[in-house]
Amino acid sequence: MPTIAGTATRRSFKDAIVDRIKQRVLVRRGPLTPPFELEYRHIFVLPTSFGWGFGVMLAFMALGGLNFNNNMALMLVFLLGTIAQLTTLIAYRNMSGLRIESIYSEPVFCGENARFRVFASNRDERQRFAIQAGFKSPQDCKDFKLNSSESFRLHQPTITRGWLEMPSFRLETRFPLGLFKAWSWIFPQSRCLVYPSPARNAPALPKSGHGHAGRAIKGDGDEVHGLRKYQAGDSKQRVAWRASARHNQLYSLDMETPQEEACELNWELLHGADAETRLSILTAWVIAADHKQLSYSLKLPGEQIPIGNGVDHRSKCLELLALHLL
Amino acid sequence: MSIKRRGILWVIAALCISMFPQLTSMPIHLVPITLLPIVWRLLAEFRNWKPLPMVLRVFATAVAVAALVLTYGGLIGRRAAVSLLVLMLSLKLLETFRTRDARIVASLSLFLCGTQFLFSQGVPMIIYIIACLLSSLTALMYLHRREAFEDLGKAPETGRGLYTELGFGVKLLVLAFPIGLALFLLFPRWSSPMWGVPEDALDARSGLSDSMSPGSIQGLFMDDSPAFRVKFEGRIPSNSERYWRGPIFWDFDGSSWKTSYLSRNLLATEKPELAKAIFRYEVQMEPTEQRWIFALDYPAMVPRGVQLTMDYQLIARRPITKLREYVMASDPGYFDSRVLKTTLRRAALELPEGFNPRTAELIADWRQEAASDSEIVRRALSYFNQQRFRYTLNPALLSRHTVDEFLFDTREGFCEHYASAFTVMMRMAGIPARVVTGYQGGWFNEIGSYMLVRQSDAHAWSEVWIKGSGWTRIDPTAAVAPSRVQQGAIESLAQRRHMLDYEWLRNVRNSFDVFQRGWNNWVVAFNSDRQSRLFSVFGWDFVDAVKLVIAMIAAILIISAIIFLLAPFVLRFRSVQRQDPLLQSWQKFIGKLTKAGFTARPSMGPLELAANAIGQLNYKGEAITRITELYVLCRYSKNADRQQELVEMVKNFKLQTIS
Repeated sequence: MPTIAGTATRRSFKDAIVDRIKQRVLVRRGPLTPPFELEYRHIFVLPTSFGWGFGVMLAFMALGGLNFNNNMALMLVFLLGTIAQLTTLIAYRNMSGLRIESIYSEPVFCGENARFRVFASNRDERQRFAIQAGFKSPQDCKDFKLNSSESFRLHQPTITRGWLEMPSFRLETRFPLGLFKAWSWIFPQSRCLVYPSPARNAPALPKSGHGHAGRAIKGDGDEVHGLRKYQAGDSKQRVAWRASARHNQLYSLDMETPQEEACELNWELLHGADAETRLSILTAWVIAADHKQLSYSLKLPGEQIPIGNGVDHRSKCLELLALHLL
Repeated sequence: MSIKRRGILWVIAALCISMFPQLTSMPIHLVPITLLPIVWRLLAEFRNWKPLPMVLRVFATAVAVAALVLTYGGLIGRRAAVSLLVLMLSLKLLETFRTRDARIVASLSLFLCGTQFLFSQGVPMIIYIIACLLSSLTALMYLHRREAFEDLGKAPETGRGLYTELGFGVKLLVLAFPIGLALFLLFPRWSSPMWGVPEDALDARSGLSDSMSPGSIQGLFMDDSPAFRVKFEGRIPSNSERYWRGPIFWDFDGSSWKTSYLSRNLLATEKPELAKAIFRYEVQMEPTEQRWIFALDYPAMVPRGVQLTMDYQLIARRPITKLREYVMASDPGYFDSRVLKTTLRRAALELPEGFNPRTAELIADWRQEAASDSEIVRRALSYFNQQRFRYTLNPALLSRHTVDEFLFDTREGFCEHYASAFTVMMRMAGIPARVVTGYQGGWFNEIGSYMLVRQSDAHAWSEVWIKGSGWTRIDPTAAVAPSRVQQGAIESLAQRRHMLDYEWLRNVRNSFDVFQRGWNNWVVAFNSDRQSRLFSVFGWDFVDAVKLVIAMIAAILIISAIIFLLAPFVLRFRSVQRQDPLLQSWQKFIGKLTKAGFTARPSMGPLELAANAIGQLNYKGEAITRITELYVLCRYSKNADRQQELVEMVKNFKLQTIS
């Protein structure tokens, strides 16, 4: 059985170190877990590579202007330099005061992208423009109108099952000229549940379960389930004439589809395969059983979920599979 | 229009604006080569063409550079270098499809704008600099938006219009101006350049040149740009005294006059005494890329870095590449050369063999009849005056025997024809003579009380050496058209030079020159000297770089603090969204309710809001209900004609705050 690390994402050593440093430096500057408002101590401003290039160009222009005492060229350089400097303030103000409200994610299967929605709001009487969010590179960008909220959609690939801790992400803006970037690192204490990836060629569902049949599904079916009041649109053949005559009211036959046998999804059925494969097959079975609307129970070494069906049952089973032995 | 398209269109606009002055001064055949890539890029944008293949782009670049090198004869020289920059930027558009390339073009457009000030720093350049800044900033803003959204595959929700971006640019510019100005005034300047322009890197010479052939001054005559401005101390010379001495020509090859080695390199051994100088003045000279500086006859002072030659030309050691100011004094009554040295006499009499036989005949006759040199001079002048000579801008072309043809056949010409013919005639008669070029006249600006001399005042005259009076100025043009000297070259012509050549217009323009002069004084000529003079107000006599830097940092900090404090008011950038007037008046109504103490929750619909407001405010009137009903009506049924009514009602709506 392969050993699985405590965290779901397998990160490189370098990434871990960088993250550690980030946390050391940044967390001390104040809480950075939602909900919170970005303040001056969270926001960093540095030139972009384009900004450096622009600066070099200005330096050359200034050198020429000074040498030839060309005053209009110098004035141009001074104006541009001041504008560039001014954009740092604008970029900073574009970020400061932005409120990160909450982060939401839904469970995904391993191999899919974990999707996070970061809700942010602008409570100020000023617009914010082009604020980007992303883990390493920007993934989403939003404008904020006055007094409005928006959500950033971020995604992160999943490699292993279990809890995926949402990595620290960056809010960044290069507004207005792209010369400077102002950014903040956010350390969300959010996680996304990653189910094992369902096996592709999973064996057929085990039929010989011991469990009793689940509840049949109401609606059009072959077997009579009971009576109910007639509703406009019920077929004439379905009207229970006898019962209707007795009660002075029209009744229809309520039909149902008989439920197939319940199945037991048991870890032990899959001996021979390694743990991850077993989990992956079990996941595929849960999905298949749910899809066929069967009742099923799940049995893992040391843990089990009694028979049942429905959305909640499915989530419970998948969660058990996701977190088994972690 | 997508942001991507707007971005590239603004980049192209920024490039076109910044290359405009260069385009107008490029050789004409380079203009289509420069414009072609721009046109291609525009078409590519609207027809969704793909970028050209690499081979084709390299080929186009090679062809363009070859054309440039052939035109300028190399890539040395400021015009050629800037033309190369323009051409390269234009060609860069061929591959400008990504944000990164577009940014490079937009930034280098600003660089190009900076290079243009090497050629001109006139008042119109203020408009140019603002146009360049605004268009480039707007382009960069669009490019930023494109990078932020479209490069991620997202579409921005707030549409932002031209007004927003341009208005934003204006705002940036206005906010940056105070600090820009502080930097301009306080940034330490170098008192002398670290490196100079190499002599062979000069180009686009303007003004009088080192040779004179028929037509050379005539070309200048069409040019109304200022040559120099003079501020007099004391007496102002009358019109006929305003002879500004420039290049002097000794060598004649039959068609054109050239400066001689002797006259350029032999320095004056004596000069007028400063005490005797009648005219004292300060000259502010526009750059010419040549070495002559101008003074009234005869200069009694020699500015720093200038040499006074034996024929009293003032020749600077380095070409005048930027606005130059110098103090000057002149003594018009100076006796120039009591004795003429043999070498110089020979030089002043030399004529090429085999030219102008008819003139030679005429002069031989005069020589026999005349008793003295002065009589020949008088006779020549009266010849010009009495024969039917015409002073005209469009003289007939002359071939080999220029003087013959001019004197006997065409009899029409411009000052250089008269000066040239007269000098040749004098030399034939054995009188030492030379051609002097310079400017004659000047327009006195009453508002600024200074004299403006334009290129169109360029003039040529002669000097003859007569025993007992030395070198004497003779202006043969004055004999033909006395008004040339009395009123000026333009006034003495019968025809207009071009369509817009009216006297009133010229006067208006001359009056407006006072702004250009102020600009020159305060901006173009601002240097380390003036910088330190700025501080004499505070009682600091000596200002060094350290003090300047301290003052500069202090000024920047103070202004930044003000901007930072004002930031919530001035840095509030809003995109323009067309507001729905109905919504506007509804929001105004809610505002009035809020003021009265009602708290509206965003979740409330209009009816709920009204009911809550009436309850909360304990309101007895009907206005709230009526306004709400009308709003609902206008909003949900197509009853646009009652919109005005709602606006009125909201306007008149009043609430007493409950106590």
